[in-house]
Amino acid sequence: MLIEVFGPGCAKCQVLEKHAHQAVEQSGGNHQVVKVADYAAMAARGILSTPALALDGHIKFQGKVASSDEILALLKG
Amino acid sequence: MLETDAVVPTALEPNTPPPSFFRRGGWLLLALPLWVLLYAVIQRASELIAFDWLGLMPKSHLGEAVAFFFYDAPKVLLLLTLVVFIVTFIQSFVSPTRVRDALSKRREGVGNAMAALFGILTPFCSCSAVPLFIGFLRAGVPLGVTFSFLVAAPMINEVALGMLFAMFGWKIALLYAGTGVSIAFLSGLVLGRMNMERHLEGWVQDALKAPSLGEVEEERMTLPLRIELAIQGVKEIVGKVWPYILAGICIGALIHGYVPESFMASLLGKHSWYSVPLAVLVGVPLYSNAAGVMPIVEALLGKGAALGSTLAFMMSVIGLSLPETVILRKVMRPRLIAACVGVVALGIMLVGYLFNAIL
Repeated sequence: MLIEVFGPGCAKCQVLEKHAHQAVEQSGGNHQVVKVADYAAMAARGILSTPALALDGHIKFQGKVASSDEILALLKG
Repeated sequence: MLETDAVVPTALEPNTPPPSFFRRGGWLLLALPLWVLLYAVIQRASELIAFDWLGLMPKSHLGEAVAFFFYDAPKVLLLLTLVVFIVTFIQSFVSPTRVRDALSKRREGVGNAMAALFGILTPFCSCSAVPLFIGFLRAGVPLGVTFSFLVAAPMINEVALGMLFAMFGWKIALLYAGTGVSIAFLSGLVLGRMNMERHLEGWVQDALKAPSLGEVEEERMTLPLRIELAIQGVKEIVGKVWPYILAGICIGALIHGYVPESFMASLLGKHSWYSVPLAVLVGVPLYSNAAGVMPIVEALLGKGAALGSTLAFMMSVIGLSLPETVILRKVMRPRLIAACVGVVALGIMLVGYLFNAIL
């Protein structure tokens, strides 16, 4: 699956990105983590607060640093 | 058929709280009496530490400063924990998406008032300022209304409001909220009339016209989830701001122990015309968390600084910060930034003079 982490590069966004990588490692699956720092791209996707995370193009949450367990649960779907 | 029957009981599962919630709930029940107990003993404990253990003289400069530190540090941290818990819990009912949808159909005036009121409660992190700004404009929220929100959200900090209420009573808390809402309302109204749309950066104007690629669905909230969020909020905020608080308390302790009242009265007193602009000038470059300013406010008021000047100082520290201005520079051209900072600074000074005059 494709995991997109949206954030301009603030501390919270970096933590979320780290959690996403940890979740991928734990899942053992073949997932890809992409960081999106472009404000225009965030605006087009309807994101109002950062950090946000999308799974296969669907925004799962915004304005929150999810734990790696939460992201893992999303990956297992 | 059999399969769907089997699915029914599990479908109820998301509504039953996870087991960790009960463990947490038990901790919460224990935490409250512990909190009350600690809060009851800190006054006595601070005097014990400063005057008995450290052997400092009561009424001496150093003694009073040290006692202030050992009294204020636990007090502010305890109050902050409680305030953040309550505030984060309430915030779980107000999301930026909901605010945006509520504001998108409003005209100026009503919209500005609503935006300023929403600004009190909305969780706001300065790195979200840009996506929020563009998202509001894209949804058809007028620029002036968006400004009212952007001014209110950082200036009327919900944690500061709770701390003011806990430390100085409801009158000062209401004063702070009321003046903050008025400044946000008026500055949004003024900026909205100045036709500033062309002073947005080019890429922002493009982003406003770009087609939408999707919308964010709201997360479904349950009570255990809200409580969990509140606990996380306490961990995150208290864990992050305690250095600011200790720094604030050190400054507060120095003021409390060493600054003579006559000096403070002439510097920030209600009869010196320069006290309000001075408070704003000192406050703007200072960047502190809302909770970190509280001990300084406490010490200033204790030494006879005028309420208007002190409020002006607090608002400029919290509401007008350089880091935020730097972030907003990405979307606004210098003229717009200058207008924005200028209008807000003017509003804060008006408030300072007003309260110095009437109180």
